[in-house]
Amino acid sequence: MEHDINRNILIAVDESDNSRRAVQYVANILGGVKGFKVTVLHVIREPEEDFFHAEDEKEKWYQDYGRKTDRMLGEYRQLLVDAGFDIEDVSIRKTLRYCPSMAECILAERDSLEYGTLVVGRKGLSHKEEFLFGSISGKIVRTARNCTVWVVE
Amino acid sequence: MSEDISQETLHQLALPWLTSLKPGHRFNIFRDTGDYYRIEYGDIVILNNVPYLVRHNAKEGRFGLDDEVKFWVKRAIDLKTGKTKILKLVFYEKFLARVGGIEFECFRSPRKEARILNLVGNHANFMHGFSVPDNQGNIVRIIDLIYGNTLADQVRDMASGMNHETYFYGHFPAILDSFMECVEAIRFLHEHGEKHGDVRRDHIIADRDTGRCRWIDFDYNFQHRENMYGYDLFGLGNVFMYLAGRGDVLIADIIKANSPAALELRDEDMNIVFNNRVANLKKIYPYIPDSLNRILMHFSRGANIFYDNTIQLLDDLNELRSGFAGRQGGIQNGT
Repeated sequence: MEHDINRNILIAVDESDNSRRAVQYVANILGGVKGFKVTVLHVIREPEEDFFHAEDEKEKWYQDYGRKTDRMLGEYRQLLVDAGFDIEDVSIRKTLRYCPSMAECILAERDSLEYGTLVVGRKGLSHKEEFLFGSISGKIVRTARNCTVWVVE
Repeated sequence: MSEDISQETLHQLALPWLTSLKPGHRFNIFRDTGDYYRIEYGDIVILNNVPYLVRHNAKEGRFGLDDEVKFWVKRAIDLKTGKTKILKLVFYEKFLARVGGIEFECFRSPRKEARILNLVGNHANFMHGFSVPDNQGNIVRIIDLIYGNTLADQVRDMASGMNHETYFYGHFPAILDSFMECVEAIRFLHEHGEKHGDVRRDHIIADRDTGRCRWIDFDYNFQHRENMYGYDLFGLGNVFMYLAGRGDVLIADIIKANSPAALELRDEDMNIVFNNRVANLKKIYPYIPDSLNRILMHFSRGANIFYDNTIQLLDDLNELRSGFAGRQGGIQNGT
């Protein structure tokens, strides 16, 4: 009996090199293969209100960050299209969320949109960095359910 | 609505604290606290129509910077009640903190501290106070003074001249109870979406009046990465290591003392961030229970699993506590 295969792929990115490698990996593996749809996602972590002294500072941060995110996502989309994805099969998404845990925010996005595969880059944190601040990819691997996770180093 | 408070009224109110006050003395009065350097001994700060007589700037002894003056923190008398208060004026700073070679962006947030003061209310394990804006909207925190030493100082003093084993069996169980209350208090913050931000042993004061340990100073914040509470947990681990070891157990001291344990210690036995501190205390003090050492090893270089939250840490502390006989109680009552 043949199972339905969910061919929707979610790549969670930020502006790091490891995210670029994750997008590049998907491009290399699946570029030109029909039937896959890719969404490149960036979760904007809503900064804590304490981070800004004034409302205008906050507004400026959101504007600057939004522009930077649009540029980054646009570049990633183009990278996938250049590798052979049809432009209509590549979407980009940015979302602003309050994220005590970024991994949980990314997984919540995956859950709501039911992607079969989640792709993330791995930063290669030192042991003590992971201890102090946690690892997004590590937590995703530990806690993801009902999907396949690709961690690209 | 603003009320004018005359110089004469201030004179009468302040007289008990300024006995050498000359007739006709005119106080400097501040309703805008932005330029805190100008606010000095004997000045009056008026907040929400309450006059506060400034006594002196607070000092902080930490990491070798003994008596570093904090000009934005004033000890003052509430002239309506006569009670001593700490006024924390607005001091914004953003800086790169460096812990174990890892840099991260930190900032001070009066708003965060004000919010937490409001959240904790009369919780026995936190400092108490409230916030009020000055006439320029600066968020001033007005904090009740806590009389007592830091928990670390208490441990140092009580254990002076005593061997570790005597300390461990005689005093540590009560200290553990106090520490567990502190962890519960941090759990309370985390459950409400707040981090302490600067968990360290000199931010726990053993209140002389209540015998309870109380967290102070919540104004530090930082942009977290994956685990919002990881840095607080790291701080709790360091405090616990200090309490269990009756101070920092340093590799240099062990070598200097020609202890045979020096030959047993490996890299993985050291504190994950502070490489000169021993985490695997069982190699130094073999009588400490495995349940305690297992907790310590979560904060060692050899750890392959970390605590994600305070609940996990508390579960292990409860298991440890159940192995000690004796009633639970505050640090003063129990020792």
